[in-house]
Amino acid sequence: MGKYLSIAGISIKNSLVYRASVTGRVVFYFVFIFVFFSLWSMIYSGNEIAGYSLVQMIWYVCMTELVVFCSGSEIFGRMNHEVKSGEIAYRLLRPWNYIFMQFADMLGSMAFSASVFTVMAVLLGFVFAGPIQGFNPASVPLIVISFVLSITMNFFICMSLGLLAFYFEENSPFYFIYQKLLFVFGMLLPIEFLPIWTQGILRYLPFSLITWGPARMVVNFSYEYAFEIIPMQAAWCVFSVLLAMFVFSRGVRKVNVHGG
Amino acid sequence: MFTEVKTHLKLILKYFTFNLSALTEYRTSFLVQVFGMALNNASFAFFWWVLFDRLGTGIGGYGFTDVMFLWAVASTGFGLSHVFFANANRISGMIITGELDTYLLQPKNPLINSISARMSVTAWGDVIYGIVLMALIKASGMMWVMFGISIFTAALLITSIAVAGHSLTFYFGNMEAVGRTLWEFTITFSIYPETIFKGPVKALIMTAVPIGFITHVPLRLVRNFSWGTLLLLFGVTLAYALFAFILYMKGLRKYESGNLIVTRM
Repeated sequence: MGKYLSIAGISIKNSLVYRASVTGRVVFYFVFIFVFFSLWSMIYSGNEIAGYSLVQMIWYVCMTELVVFCSGSEIFGRMNHEVKSGEIAYRLLRPWNYIFMQFADMLGSMAFSASVFTVMAVLLGFVFAGPIQGFNPASVPLIVISFVLSITMNFFICMSLGLLAFYFEENSPFYFIYQKLLFVFGMLLPIEFLPIWTQGILRYLPFSLITWGPARMVVNFSYEYAFEIIPMQAAWCVFSVLLAMFVFSRGVRKVNVHGG
Repeated sequence: MFTEVKTHLKLILKYFTFNLSALTEYRTSFLVQVFGMALNNASFAFFWWVLFDRLGTGIGGYGFTDVMFLWAVASTGFGLSHVFFANANRISGMIITGELDTYLLQPKNPLINSISARMSVTAWGDVIYGIVLMALIKASGMMWVMFGISIFTAALLITSIAVAGHSLTFYFGNMEAVGRTLWEFTITFSIYPETIFKGPVKALIMTAVPIGFITHVPLRLVRNFSWGTLLLLFGVTLAYALFAFILYMKGLRKYESGNLIVTRM
């Protein structure tokens, strides 16, 4: 456990060194929220749409973007690169579990991003929309659990997709499709905007549980909803970890090391 | 002057042919990336379709077809910019690493030579997506005419904005983050209805950073054509291209070589 914590610690230090890249992402986060604020302000005229008020909608976008900016999707590119370049051969020699080492490494930068973007999300939510009516601070621990599960689930799914490089020469279509499913089924719009028959299916799928799950919890919290969503997120989270381990353990058998 | 322009157009065409043949050598990878980018853009079309369907009304005077026209022009314009001038977004990096040396030694204009030396694969997905989108929305004749004109003005403006932003590196040190942010701004602001932007933001995108002329002004021309507005579109595009060119060339005088040895393959 100690070695994984050390890796996470080094990763946090690295994130602090590359401040310029964080600044760029912060600016982009701001622009994105600003554009959506302008769009939703134009659309709403004191009414509710699909059960969401303007305030809830702006907070919703702030929260889904928070998940996206912190979820370490870069792991797909890293896995892809390590497998295709053969760099993975060097890593396999080290005394660690490869999957958990990668998680520990990304954990540092994800923790750093989470702290920066949580402040941004809350700040922009208050500036653009004001407080959420009826928000109960007692719900924060459950919301945090939901966010952590979302981010972890997304990380291991992206990792599994990256590890498909063991099997496919060109694995980016899987990632493209996955990303777009996240986009359209929860990130840009709550699933309540979609036809009713799709909502019944989407609320059980990981794409919506990653973005819509925690964001909906922030804007319209209820214990019934939290106790319905969190166990599903936990189950998908376990499944995504097992999936990454499975894809890795089968794929690594295909590695041929020729020295050098 | 005319000969100079002709020579540089030939150079751009040579780079285009060479880069395209290099990319198509890895056919599967090329097709996957093109398809991936088209899919990426299509997800936004889905977003707008759901939104308009749910609202059952326009947004700030814009209908679904109008927004898709913005997307088509932005996508194909952006694609053309990155098919022909993909290095425009790497100018800061080239200045910082000293990579510009290679282009300075060659008997062609360093700006044109350096920015057209690379082609983006995914940009082909953007080019195709815009055209397919126009066909899918059953665009009117006027829309097709304006699309045909504005994809070129859009490509020139997007390239010029990138060149201007990154040229600041000559003057103030590493401005890569500024150039990249400006690029993000350009894309983000050009794919949403003009009417959602107000006050200083609207003034900014219609003047100092003329993002509004990439898609919003062409749509105005579709809705209410006037020769004056069309001339304004051409005027602003050429003026901004000239401004970016001068900014780069003046900045180039401040460039210091890093003695970097590179191999171009």
